[in-house]
Amino acid sequence: MRKKTFDDRFSIVSIALGIIILLAVGLINPFKLHDHLVEPPFLMEDFTLQAANGESFRLSDQEGKIVLLFFGYTNCADVCPTTLSTLKQVYQRLGENAQNVKFVMITVDPERDTPEKVAAYVTQFNSEFIGLSGSLADLEPIWKRLGIFVEKKNSDNVEGYLVSHTASVYVIDRSGIFIMTFPYETSALHMTNEIIQLLK
Amino acid sequence: MELEKFRKRIFSSYTFLLVMWLASACGATGELTVQDAWARPAAAGDNSAVYLVIQNDTTSADALISVSTDVASTAEAHMSMLNDQGVVSMQMQEAVQIPAGDSLKFKPGGLHIMLVDLQQDLKVGDTFTLVLKFERAGEITMQIEVRDQ
Repeated sequence: MRKKTFDDRFSIVSIALGIIILLAVGLINPFKLHDHLVEPPFLMEDFTLQAANGESFRLSDQEGKIVLLFFGYTNCADVCPTTLSTLKQVYQRLGENAQNVKFVMITVDPERDTPEKVAAYVTQFNSEFIGLSGSLADLEPIWKRLGIFVEKKNSDNVEGYLVSHTASVYVIDRSGIFIMTFPYETSALHMTNEIIQLLK
Repeated sequence: MELEKFRKRIFSSYTFLLVMWLASACGATGELTVQDAWARPAAAGDNSAVYLVIQNDTTSADALISVSTDVASTAEAHMSMLNDQGVVSMQMQEAVQIPAGDSLKFKPGGLHIMLVDLQQDLKVGDTFTLVLKFERAGEITMQIEVRDQ
């Protein structure tokens, strides 16, 4: 068997060093936008929905701010509050940057969720959160445009039915472009880091 | 005479081993307990969820068959499920099995006790009574603390 020469050893050491440097660069600068980027990103069609107290919310009025859209319903006891709790942490982590971000929940249950009800539900988590409702005719085009799945499921309990729905958070950038989603259970830290990058 | 002593020693050793085995067997036959219970804050008329851990230290499988509380019209075990399209749905659980010597965690985004139609506000720091009924262990009554996630 051929003995290892100095050149062989030098090559091995070089390759090992190369790998270490690549790993180090990855660790030092790990940030990259989330895997769930929209390909291609598209300008979100404008919409207007009802907020509490007779006010309306128009997407195009939010230009210059990032809009985080979450779709849920106020009878939801587990997944929706879990996501809203995470968004509450995101708001806190963002600090002053939070003023450049709108946190919005749009109902998937317009039959039961009035704008007041959605607003009361989300403001339990943060008084700045916005809750929106509207007619099915107003809501369906938004669900369809973003690919939100909504399906009623009959239930024997007193509330009558449950709603299966997409649980991701949808990110509209400062120019009104739908750019990415945060899948359910994305951590508050991860969301915050990505939002800060988008704000730069 | 020596043989008699030897027999006595062997008998004592076996007795000792038998006692130890019985003691350890008794130790394994523990109880079914419920720990780390908490509920989400929510307003009267809304729904909430209770999360907890059931530890079954007995040698028999058991099942949670019903839940009741005065603070809600109905309390049911539910499972939240996420599919690969990012869609969540909830499924009521008639009975929740807890294998012998195992534990089961009710946690956000998974198994939970759904409190339907709250009869009062649940605010952070409040406590209320929840009764869990098991097939074998019977009823366990406990105080649930309301807290943020």
